Formats: sequence, structure tokens, C-alpha cells
Amino acid sequence: MIETLFKRAVTAFLVIAICIALLQGMSLKYEDKSESPIFEYYVENHEETGAVNLVEAILLDYRAYDTFGEILVLYISIAGVIILGKEIVEGKSEEGGFGS
Amino acid sequence: MKSIIVKTFGRALAPFILMYGIYLMLFGPVSPGGGFQGGVVLASAVVLVLVTHGKEKVKRLTQNIEWFDSFGVFVFLFFGSIGMLIGGSFFVNLTPYSMTSLVFLDVIIAMKVFAGIVVLSIFFFERGAE
Repeated sequence: MIETLFKRAVTAFLVIAICIALLQGMSLKYEDKSESPIFEYYVENHEETGAVNLVEAILLDYRAYDTFGEILVLYISIAGVIILGKEIVEGKSEEGGFGS
Repeated sequence: MKSIIVKTFGRALAPFILMYGIYLMLFGPVSPGGGFQGGVVLASAVVLVLVTHGKEKVKRLTQNIEWFDSFGVFVFLFFGSIGMLIGGSFFVNLTPYSMTSLVFLDVIIAMKVFAGIVVLSIFFFERGAE
């Protein structure tokens, strides 16, 4: 019993340490990019897209290609869950899937 | 065991949540909201009924809803390529200065997110029911 507790403690510690390291790493590289010309352009003439809501204008018009990627990711992830999960639900696969 | 109160409230609240989801979906470009949020709120209404009343109640609605999921991606792609056919770049705004293309995209995204989350929740609901 003690070993499992010890193992869990060590893995938890490792996970937390890695997360903190990553956060430190990410925060060092951040420099203020809010004055970049693209944002200026978006803010100035987002009326051309016909959207009052700037977020929608960017999401659907200036960055529609990114939204397309977003939708693709969403679709593939859900299709993946359903395909992989079908066996589990019908009980074909023996290990029973989620955490059982 | 689902108490009567939960069942009645589930059925009573569902249409209002759906209405709010449709509002979010359609008023994307004007007010805060948009495709994704609208789709999620719509899905939450269906999941509410799914949880309180079980799968049979939602069976007819979600008969072939996964088609919406994949259909949405193709329509979005098609909408993008129309811009290319006409000569502009990939996602040329077909109707500049008017919200029709935005609302159209919003509706597609909302349908897609709605279908995806409903299918997912039904799948997990089945998984838990054993």
C-alpha cells in the first residue's frame, strides 16, 4: 500500500514541477504585441465585414481560415471518440475503456 | 431515481434554453454570441432533457444528427471555395457590408457544435448507463 502512495506522490510532484517549468518558460517569451499593424487594421475598418461585433468580424471574416481549422479539429475529435468508443459501448473490447 | 420535480423542470426549461441558444446563434455579429456559443447552449438544452428523461425522449431528435456534424464542415468549406470560384481569395466575404454571410456561417457552426456535443453526450450517457 505504501509503495502505491509513494508512487502517486512522486508522479504528482513530477507533473506539478513540469507544469511550473512550462509556465515559467512561456511567460519569459511574452512581449507586448498589441501595437502590431494587423490589429490596427482590424480595429479601424471592421465595418467592411458588416459585423458590429469585432470578435465575429475577426472570427468569421478576417480569420475564417483559422475557424475552418477549428471546426475541422472539433469534427475529427468527436468522430474519433465515437469511432473508438463504439466497441466499448457495445462491450466488444474487453478492457472496458474509461477508467474501469 | 429522478424525482418528479427534476423531470418537470427539465421539460419546462428546455424550450427557453433552446430559444436563448437560437438567439445567440442568430445575433452573433451584432451582440455577444456567435456560432460556437449558440451551438453549445442549444446542446445544453438537449442534454438537460437527455439527462432528466433518459435516451428514449431524445431518440427521435438525435436519430441521424451526426450527419449535421460532418455536413457542417463541408458546407463551411464550400462557402469558402465559392469565394475562390468568384475570383477572390479563399474566404472572400460574399456579401460585404451586410451580415448575411456571417449569420450563415454562424448557423452552420452552431449546427455543427450542437450535433457534435449532443452525439458526444449521448455516447457518454450510454457508456454510463451500463
